[in-house]
Amino acid sequence: MTAEYVIAAPVIASVAARAAAETAGVVRLEPGLRGLATAWTRAARQRWKGLEPAPADGVRVRAHEDSLTVEVDVVISGADQAAAVGRAVQLAVFREVLAQTGRSVDAVRVSILDIEVGRQ
Amino acid sequence: MEVNQDYGLPCGRELETVWENLDEVDEHQLDCVHCRTARESLLALRAATQELIDEPDPTPPDLVGRIMSAVRAEVRRGQMLDLPAAEPGSVEVSEQAVAVVLRYAADSAGNVRARRVRVRKVGVDSSGAAQVEVELTLTTRLGNTSGADTLARVRELVSAAASSRVGISLVSLDLLVEDVYEDGE
Repeated sequence: MTAEYVIAAPVIASVAARAAAETAGVVRLEPGLRGLATAWTRAARQRWKGLEPAPADGVRVRAHEDSLTVEVDVVISGADQAAAVGRAVQLAVFREVLAQTGRSVDAVRVSILDIEVGRQ
Repeated sequence: MEVNQDYGLPCGRELETVWENLDEVDEHQLDCVHCRTARESLLALRAATQELIDEPDPTPPDLVGRIMSAVRAEVRRGQMLDLPAAEPGSVEVSEQAVAVVLRYAADSAGNVRARRVRVRKVGVDSSGAAQVEVELTLTTRLGNTSGADTLARVRELVSAAASSRVGISLVSLDLLVEDVYEDGE
């Protein structure tokens, strides 16, 4: 018997979103207009089934052939160096997606859209 | 729907103009990557909004705040600077975010207030970090008798913030003092 496991993109996106949001220095994830539209559509579909979807705002998952790329848009605090926070988000996403889904990510692209100075 | 006029695209066109011409694209919008990106996002937003209107459930809380936050993020996404990344992929930061950090650093020098910050990418260093030229416009306090020292302090703080708070390297920093203010303003 053969068994094939498929991990859907929203699962990876939700795991990556939580990993990024819990990284020190990250204030919040930033969905953008396209992300907002995607989140609303997903939430509406889940509500029909009586489920509340895990948030994945600010994360896009791109699969091309065997390659998997995760893109994360974040707002960070000014207390830490932006480059260091970005690298920490990369590491957290690589680690948590592998641990929770068994799927290894090939690349993580972190975009810091805003820095909130004065916030610790 | 009205979109705040402060949200200009890097090409100079207001987001509101793109919104108004959503169904009638002009020649500039056909050629401009910023306008095309904004238009695609606004079309997606319009479709999602229509779904919400059709949805019998109440609209999500803080709907307007979330939309405007998303619009701001879309504008910021236009101009990004590379930061060093140790892992496969990339780390980048918006020019607007860098400008906020540099303006805050300049303000903390005392006796000056930062106004406009222009950040321009000119290259990438060996670590993968963007090299930038910065032009900072300042207003100085009337009666400040140590103007040269103040400007040296601004230069020191802004340069330090670029590397320690962001992770980019400054190739040049031009300070333009264009106005004065009195205490209490």
